[in-house]
Amino acid sequence: MRSEITESSAECLHTDLTLWEVGPYHGMLPGPMRLRLRLDGEIVVHGEFETGFLHRGLEKCFEQQPWRTVVPYADHLDPEAAVFGELALCLAVEEIGAITVPPRAQTIRILLSELSRISAHLIYMVRVARAVGSETMVHYVLRDREKILDLFELLAGARFSLNFLRFGGVRADVTEGFIERVLEVGDLIRLRLKEYNDLFTFNRAFLKRAAHVGVISQEAARRQGVTGPNARAAGIAWDIRKTHPYTAYELFDFEIPQGRGQFGTRGDAHDRFLLRLREISQSLEILKQAADFIPKGVFHSEKFDPSAVLPPGEAYVRIESSRGLLGCHVVSDGGDKPCRVQFRTPSLSNISLIPELVEGVRIEDLPLILASLDISIPEVDR
Amino acid sequence: MTYWGQLFGLAPGTPQVLVASFALLCTYGVVILPSAALMSYLERKVGADLQARVGPNRAGPWGMFQPIADLLKLLQKESIGHRPWGEELWLAVHTMALYSTVAVLPLGSTVLLINTDMSAFLPFWAALVLALGTMLLGLNQRSIPGWFGGIRVAAQALAGAFPALITILTAGIRGGGFRWSELAGAQGTLPTSWVAFSSPFEFVAFLVFVSSGLVLLGVAPFDGGLSTSDIHGGVSSRLNGQRFSLFRLGRFYGFFLWSIIAVVLFLGAWNIPARVHNMLTENSGTFIVQILELAVLLSKTFGLMLVVVWVARVNPRVRSDQITDLTWKVLSPLSLLTLVGTAIWVSWGHIL
Repeated sequence: MRSEITESSAECLHTDLTLWEVGPYHGMLPGPMRLRLRLDGEIVVHGEFETGFLHRGLEKCFEQQPWRTVVPYADHLDPEAAVFGELALCLAVEEIGAITVPPRAQTIRILLSELSRISAHLIYMVRVARAVGSETMVHYVLRDREKILDLFELLAGARFSLNFLRFGGVRADVTEGFIERVLEVGDLIRLRLKEYNDLFTFNRAFLKRAAHVGVISQEAARRQGVTGPNARAAGIAWDIRKTHPYTAYELFDFEIPQGRGQFGTRGDAHDRFLLRLREISQSLEILKQAADFIPKGVFHSEKFDPSAVLPPGEAYVRIESSRGLLGCHVVSDGGDKPCRVQFRTPSLSNISLIPELVEGVRIEDLPLILASLDISIPEVDR
Repeated sequence: MTYWGQLFGLAPGTPQVLVASFALLCTYGVVILPSAALMSYLERKVGADLQARVGPNRAGPWGMFQPIADLLKLLQKESIGHRPWGEELWLAVHTMALYSTVAVLPLGSTVLLINTDMSAFLPFWAALVLALGTMLLGLNQRSIPGWFGGIRVAAQALAGAFPALITILTAGIRGGGFRWSELAGAQGTLPTSWVAFSSPFEFVAFLVFVSSGLVLLGVAPFDGGLSTSDIHGGVSSRLNGQRFSLFRLGRFYGFFLWSIIAVVLFLGAWNIPARVHNMLTENSGTFIVQILELAVLLSKTFGLMLVVVWVARVNPRVRSDQITDLTWKVLSPLSLLTLVGTAIWVSWGHIL
């Protein structure tokens, strides 16, 4: 990702320009990465980024595992919302092996996906609030996110790396009382959303900080392949759950919110924040429907035989993760291990917006812009 | 001054310098340090309650010894790396500027060390010198965070100074002067007799005074120069251990000083009911009266500080350019308006 300073910025070089390298570890960054900024006073004239500080060779790891043990690796694609990596991998493998997933397992997957989406959006709110120094919001939201982690613990025994999905279904049936608790937590979060709005979303000081800041245009979103909430905030109403439904999303009734630029420009940092709040409320809607009509039956089509091999073939699936389009490409050569597993992650598109978004902004807005892009460095570096 | 001499049991002929030094040390040790500890505890505990957290609860009952534990920890940390001499120098200047105001700190009717016609302005100048010291401290760190921290502190101090100055003038109108005794004498015990609640203009002046002071000193939420999210602490980014505790104590003292001045100018100072005052003076002597006055003053001050902390915790940090915008375009005109308004209001009252 290194590139020399381009011609356009060379034109505005003054003697008082400063070079500031931020990172790889700095509070404003979403994770280990480096920002190379040219500053004119407090205004960023030119910005570049460098990634790769968290490269773990994750995709290579998949190739060294037998099929039955690859799922936990997918958890580490994005530790904040582990289910999406697992789901994308499982869907691709199921497509190659033509494995059917029973309806009950599909609904459990939807429950987990939407809970993860809410949890990831809550963490997003925490990061935005922290970037502008609003401590109370941080603590309130973290308190409520614990409730969702509790649900994960109840279901899978783990709070982050769930390792719960299996090819052909899920690892276990829902725990007794889980559905009721999902509904309870849903009601609680619906109440809290109003509290967050009163406290933070429509707080004048926050509006002044976030409106008109870090505007992503539709054109830029298309050019960089930005998807998910960031693109929807820019006005591109595109959601895989609607356009190419998977895991029986077509059975659910929900809306795709779109940025309206009520308080500033469409696609600005505040719009992105507000859009996540509205997505949470749509996810709660899906959760409610899923919890009310969870089909009876088995949670797993058949036990995946440990010695089984997948037929040769490849599959590419797309799902809507909390950050956007998550693609997973799995290639099987008929052996006992995956031949190749690749991910197309939304964070990589989001991070590539940094150079154009930071140009001309004040240093004080950088943390907010970076936080509002919803970048997951583990997803970028893999 | 004579009172201080009596308090320490010094002979009447003792040089005034000696008495003043005793008085300064006593004020620092008995009022400022314990206040800093108490306030840092209150800030964390009340802040935790507001944020649905537990807060400090390990050191002592309800975590009451947490400030002491923190101080001990910070004191024993060794300093790291080579430091530019400028940084040492400006930390010293910053601290000296700050504590020079202990002499003018109004803590009660009998313990006023310096009670001149210009008393109310002295802390104001100290705050400006403090801002200068903080700026140069930042600039001498030779790092981008320190540099921007310093520049932001300077910009805010320049912006905050004007409305702060004008509102001090406003506050002096009712008292007819800027001696602490005159300012306090113009107010009573009940809130209705406080300057802040005497007229709408003076109430606005009070708000402007407090907020411009926060801007001037860089107290949250107007602490762009010390922002952690973008320039990881700005001016304080390279201070650690003892230097950091000195700096932190200095920041606290600035905030504390400004709140005390706000209480003295606008919120009834140290006034206790005249009946109680006379009864206590006759029966138990000035010492008890002084303690009571100090308690009244400090509790109002802590109340005001907690309100500021509360607001700061809830609201996002305001961007420096928005702060200076607010200060120049809103607070400054408002302060002029309150000056004129209060002058008319008060003279109207005299005419009637």
